[in-house]
Amino acid sequence: MIVVSGLRFRYAGTHRDALHAIDLAVGTGELVGVVGANGAGKSSLCYTLSGYIPHFYTGSIEGDVLVAGHDVRRTPVSEMVSDVGLVFQNPFNQISGARYTVLEEVAFGLENLGVEQAELRPRAMDALRATGLENLADRSPFTLSGGEQQRLAIAAVMAMRPKVLVLDEPTSQLDPAGTRSIFEVLQRLAREGKTTIVLTEHKLGWLAAFVDRLVVLHAGQLVADGPPRDVLSQALEQPWGVGATRYTRAAQAAVQRKILSAAAPLPVTLEQALESLR
Amino acid sequence: MNDKALPRPVEARALHPLTSLTLMLLAVVAGAALPETALVLAVYLSLLVPLAALAHRLREFLRTCLRVLWPFVVSLVLIQGFFTPGPSVLFRLGPFSYTLEGLGVALLFSARLLVGLGAATLLTMITRPDALMRALVERGLPNQIAYIVVTTLQIVPTFQARARAILDAQRSRGLETEGPITTRIRALAPLVSPLILSSLMEIEERAIALEARAFTRAGPRTSLVTLTDTRLQSAARWCMLLLGLAAVAVRLTVWRAL
Repeated sequence: MIVVSGLRFRYAGTHRDALHAIDLAVGTGELVGVVGANGAGKSSLCYTLSGYIPHFYTGSIEGDVLVAGHDVRRTPVSEMVSDVGLVFQNPFNQISGARYTVLEEVAFGLENLGVEQAELRPRAMDALRATGLENLADRSPFTLSGGEQQRLAIAAVMAMRPKVLVLDEPTSQLDPAGTRSIFEVLQRLAREGKTTIVLTEHKLGWLAAFVDRLVVLHAGQLVADGPPRDVLSQALEQPWGVGATRYTRAAQAAVQRKILSAAAPLPVTLEQALESLR
Repeated sequence: MNDKALPRPVEARALHPLTSLTLMLLAVVAGAALPETALVLAVYLSLLVPLAALAHRLREFLRTCLRVLWPFVVSLVLIQGFFTPGPSVLFRLGPFSYTLEGLGVALLFSARLLVGLGAATLLTMITRPDALMRALVERGLPNQIAYIVVTTLQIVPTFQARARAILDAQRSRGLETEGPITTRIRALAPLVSPLILSSLMEIEERAIALEARAFTRAGPRTSLVTLTDTRLQSAARWCMLLLGLAAVAVRLTVWRAL
């Protein structure tokens, strides 16, 4: 569904590659987490997968980026958008302001896609239910809290049913309960097998528990790619600024104090931690 | 981000937005064309007031009209009275004389202003801007223009909230915003520039968000809201249009001198 090879991108007017020698292949229905320190290139990767690089943010680009059958370098964003959805961090700026209610706001993207009129309301309501906003359907989007607006932003893009969903820190303003519900929705979407999801996130604990695969970006390069457990234990030894989950840290401390044996790989989730204690 | 959003105008299901728009335009044109204060006031009382009552918004309507109108009336009555020459002098103030003709002109202008103001106020009360824009887009208005109008109306309260936040932030850093006029002027730059800069930076993200919602996609669009139009309303719109044109024609010929 996504094939990136030899991608290099440098924003116009800068002197450093924002993305460098990136190779990444993601299959249909995969849920891939992208981690990395601030400025490592996470957002740039998101923008590239959805076509905003190089069409909206210009610069010099090399390599091939194929997403949902589109050659990103040759397909305008207005065409990409029916197959690739993008949700970014600031939820407030993602409210179109063109509609008066939460329901209409979600339907806005569908109207623009030309979805049949009889389908508009059910599809918008589906997305609202999935994100737990169905009770707010008649409210003005501007009266919602930050967390609710963030869920609205996700619902609005989800309703468009893209083949590939790219989310750039979609839970930055959510509390643990809200974060959990978003991760559950994304996991369900991916498991249904029709949606391929790439999301960047700093909340390692959630990623470790929900994604199949973790990718690390460091200074614009893709430095690790694999199951969360392998990648996160590898990250402990590297200067990537990724951090570790609380379970990994606890286990690491336990190994140092000889409570745990150093032979087994370090756990990254609660389940794995409990297992290693057995 | 902000707790004050634009209150949603009551949906006037009975009237197609274009019918309301035409009605209001007719009121404005009639108000401008009619030569007598009494006739202009009659437009207000016989057309706008009953409609406001029908929409159950009469009190709000009258209050808004009065609140906006009175400063204009005061200045018109003062200035026109002294500056319109005429034979019937009501009183003198030093070298200036206040004429009855001037008072008449002031009242006529005030009445016209009242009609224009009332029409605009009523339109916002009985028509949702998005429905009106939808109707205009169906008739060929570019989508982008409709978007700008609706968004601007919705973003104003947010903008005010941000302005207040900046004011508080700068005050907490010790900026003097009260006191003599010189202090206030000096405080203007640190208040206005962050407001403008932050809005400009926001535009980039808003543009991305709009793209992400397929706003620039080519091809047919659909709409969640269906506007109901009837033959009667369509006919009424044409009649009103003709009536408006007739009013302009009469104004330019028969009532030319008035």
